[in-house]
Amino acid sequence: MNISQEEAANALGEIEASRTAMRAVIRNHRGHLYLWLWGSIWIVNSLLNGWSSARFWNTTNWITLAGLLATAAIIVMQRRQVRSRLDRRFVAVCGTLLVFGYGVWPFVLGGIHSYTAAYAFGMLIWMQVYVVAGIWFDNYWLWIGLVVAALILAGFLLFPGAFWAFSLLGGATLLGTGFYVRLCWR
Amino acid sequence: MEFLDPAIHQPARLKIMAALCQLKPDERVDFSYLKDNLGLTDGNLGAHLSTLEGKGYIAVEKTFVARRPKTFVSVTPEGRQAFTSHVQALQAILAQK
Repeated sequence: MNISQEEAANALGEIEASRTAMRAVIRNHRGHLYLWLWGSIWIVNSLLNGWSSARFWNTTNWITLAGLLATAAIIVMQRRQVRSRLDRRFVAVCGTLLVFGYGVWPFVLGGIHSYTAAYAFGMLIWMQVYVVAGIWFDNYWLWIGLVVAALILAGFLLFPGAFWAFSLLGGATLLGTGFYVRLCWR
Repeated sequence: MEFLDPAIHQPARLKIMAALCQLKPDERVDFSYLKDNLGLTDGNLGAHLSTLEGKGYIAVEKTFVARRPKTFVSVTPEGRQAFTSHVQALQAILAQK
C-alpha cells in the first residue's frame, strides 16, 4: 500500500499519542502503591516504637495487619486491569526465604533477645524478598532491598541509640521510591 | 525495504497495537480498560481485536474475576515484530525526499 508523507506523519503521531496514554496506564500499575503503603506504615511504626516500643507493641502489629489487608486489596484491584503471569518460581523463592527467615534462622541463632533485634531481623527478611523481586522483575526493587537493608544494619550495629531514626529512613526510602516509580519510571 | 501492513495501518488498529506493544511480554490488559484508554466502543474494539487476532498479532484471553467474565488482551511476539516493521516503514516514508 502507498501513503503520502503527511499520512505517514499523522500515523506516527497517532502511535506516539497511544504509546503515551498507555505508558500512563502502565505507570499506575507499577509497585508505587505498595511502596507508599509500606513506607508510610514503616515510618509510623518507627515513630511509635522509637517513642516507646513496649507501649506500642500491639498497636504496630495491628497497623501491620491493616497493611497486609490493604496490600491484598491493591493486588485484587490491579489485577482487574493489567495482569502479569504469576511466576510460581518467584512465589516459591520468596516463600522459602520467609520460612527460613522467620522459622529456621531464629532457632539456629539461638533466638532474638530484644524487640529492636526482632524488628531489624523481620525487616531484613523482607529486604531479601525485595532483592529477589529486583532480580526477577524491575530493578528498583533490588536497590530498595540493598539500600534499606544497609540502613537497618547500620542503625542496629553502628548506631543502636538511633536505630529507629534509621528505620524511619528505611520507610522514607520506600515512600520516595514509590513517587519515583509513579512519576518517572518507564 | 519495509512494507506497510494493511492489517495494522487502520487508525484504530494502529492505536491498539501501539498501546499493546508498551506492555511487557508477560503482561495483558483488560478489554474495558483498553477500550476506555483508546476511546473506542465495545463493538468497535471487538471487531478490530478479531482482525488482529486472526492475523496472529494479539492474544485474547477470556476468564472470570469474582464470577464476572473478563477479557484480557496481549500482543504476541509476531505482532510486536509486525508493528515494529510497520513503524519502520512509516519512518522510511517520512525520511524520503
